[in-house]
Amino acid sequence: MNFANMTDYHHFPIYAIMVLFLGAFIIAASGGKPSKNPNNPAGFRAWIALIATAASLCFLIALIRPVMLGGEVIAYWMGSRGISGGYAIGIALEVDALSLFFALLIATAVFVSAVYSIRYMVHDDCVPQYYVLYCLLAGGVLGLVLSGDIFNMFVMVEILTFAAVALTAFRTKVYGALEAAFKYLVVGCMGSTAILTGVIMLYAQYHTLNLAQLASLIPGTMNNATKLAFAFLYIGFSTKAFIVPFHPLAADAHGAAPASISVLISGVLTKSGIYGIMRLTYFLFQTMGLGRMQFMLVFIGSVSMFVCVTMALAQHDFKRLLAYHSISQIGYVLAAYHAMNHTLFKGLLFLAAGAVLHETGTTDLGKLGGLSKKMPHTTVLFLIGAFSISGVPPFNGFASKWMIYQASYQKAVDTGNIGFLLVTVIALVTSTLTLASFVKVSQSVFFGQLPKEYENVKEVPFGMRLAMGILAALCVVTGLFPKSVTALLTEPAAKAAANVGSYITSMGFKTSLPAVEVSFVEAGVWEPINWLLILCIALLAVTIVAVAGKYDRVSETTSENVETKYQLFYGGEENVYSQVGGGDLFWGFKHNWRHYFDFMHKLHSGVVNDYALWAVVALALAIVYMMIAL
Amino acid sequence: MIQFNYICSFFLIVLGFYTIVTKYNLVKTVIGMSVMDYGVNLLIISIGYNPGGTAPIFTAGELTRASYFVDPIPQALTLTSIVIGACVTAMSMSLVIRMHESYGTLDTREIRRLRG
Repeated sequence: MNFANMTDYHHFPIYAIMVLFLGAFIIAASGGKPSKNPNNPAGFRAWIALIATAASLCFLIALIRPVMLGGEVIAYWMGSRGISGGYAIGIALEVDALSLFFALLIATAVFVSAVYSIRYMVHDDCVPQYYVLYCLLAGGVLGLVLSGDIFNMFVMVEILTFAAVALTAFRTKVYGALEAAFKYLVVGCMGSTAILTGVIMLYAQYHTLNLAQLASLIPGTMNNATKLAFAFLYIGFSTKAFIVPFHPLAADAHGAAPASISVLISGVLTKSGIYGIMRLTYFLFQTMGLGRMQFMLVFIGSVSMFVCVTMALAQHDFKRLLAYHSISQIGYVLAAYHAMNHTLFKGLLFLAAGAVLHETGTTDLGKLGGLSKKMPHTTVLFLIGAFSISGVPPFNGFASKWMIYQASYQKAVDTGNIGFLLVTVIALVTSTLTLASFVKVSQSVFFGQLPKEYENVKEVPFGMRLAMGILAALCVVTGLFPKSVTALLTEPAAKAAANVGSYITSMGFKTSLPAVEVSFVEAGVWEPINWLLILCIALLAVTIVAVAGKYDRVSETTSENVETKYQLFYGGEENVYSQVGGGDLFWGFKHNWRHYFDFMHKLHSGVVNDYALWAVVALALAIVYMMIAL
Repeated sequence: MIQFNYICSFFLIVLGFYTIVTKYNLVKTVIGMSVMDYGVNLLIISIGYNPGGTAPIFTAGELTRASYFVDPIPQALTLTSIVIGACVTAMSMSLVIRMHESYGTLDTREIRRLRG
């Protein structure tokens, strides 16, 4: 074996996937006996998982130079079995800037969550098995985004679904964990079946499973069978991305899973679904240029944004609320490049929720309160995440949302289409509602009065704060320097999505599409440093006013905090509607919208048959729409 | 009549969907998932079938231009799919057992702690 050859960066994608599966194997082989150390029940197995995820991240970072900056598309044929007679006979990995962009996000989230897991999982049993599933999940998602073979994508989807279902049910004693896992498994399995059906119908048409070859063959030869396959594949990946109408599954799974897994479900699994949809629309079928396709994605994105943000407002559980926000933000991701920021701030928020759960044992918003005095670091980190997700300048959420507003408004002006203007409005309204609900969360969890039972709550261990700190730092850095981040990561990814020609040719297939040079126009001028200064001045002003006004620090603890917690905002009304408490901060808003909330609550019935029905209806609608529109 | 296979396979997939949507027993839901899987497996194997083709098993010297055999790739895909289907059944049944222990029922209409 030639060892000099092994350090060639062309091998790095397969190494990045292999270390994770190898880690899973070693942990599984080392048996399930817990270690004596109470602070780390998994013992050395946790370190294996940590090393595997870190190594995977390092391999991917090493690829930034050739792929992101050099514009190379790495085509890696397993066992050097490449193309014979114009047909792909081997299984390939294909890494372009889009794949690498998603792979980096995933590897970062997986690594940070592994750091967090070590101290977070101390109260659980079977922790070694947790790390086996953890590595399998990470390997599956990474394999999905780096794969150049559509059947391999299906296999990886199944691996990650299994691992995710098992991890959702990991805390079997948690309220509803089994139920959430079962629902996820049923609808996820329907989605996987849809993907497999789509894959095999494409194979029947084109006799190949290679993505690049399919991309070179499909455009221009679309017939009804191809459209059917497209609809199946689209719905299959939608279930993985949890976009409407699959959002209740995400809410259930997030609420039941350990926080370290919620991070992965939100930051990693949804991204894999989004990646699948992007791969389909931009590359395989190249339908992204069609107005009707754009309309469909933007429509679904807008509906996801709005429905989920309003569902989030009605939640009582910290993690369920975050889960609905996560899907709401996925709506933005569908519409534009919000993906990176989403992984960062959503991961941060889930980790903060996990920290609260770890210390207090509950995520019920009605029971928590006043934790800022006991957990100051977690509070600050949570606020950074909350500011980011709400799109408060200068944090990273604003930079990407700004691009969405500008892009959709520009599109409305250019095409004269009122629909795009509506998208801008929905995006803005969603952002406002997000901010509103995070005001509520921070008020009910971190501020207000501390219930008596949480008097002895301590700050979380350093390992968990470290993980949150990494994400918070990334949130701030990407918010302050959007230009360099764009140049390094998002711009190559956006170029790659437009540059299908080079994706096909670098794999060795012929195409009529030229390998174009795309000029990437940045949407809008946005100088975050000035905003940081303004924010600092505003904070200073608030502090001065608060100090000068002899701001009275309320520090007594009371057991009847449920009634007085929102005193500041309390309207004095009775609880007229079971879902909306009279003491709720947004009582008025919810009262006016009670018919809508009532309707939505009935719709999200929690019966698995209903969710399965939604999946079938979505599939039927997608098939009809594709047949008519494409 | 390979079309008959296609019709049957889609019939099985739709039957699986129907079972999952309309049956309120968790075990029947799992059966529905299996039926759906079998439908897809039948579809895959039918797509690889060439009427009159032989089994795709040849040693180095035997393969000529005139060899006529069924497509081996869908068969490999079916094997993978069957294995995955068995995993789905095993995993969902284990979840069903645990749910029956903690909820005391198999009725999906009663297993809805998480809603809204």
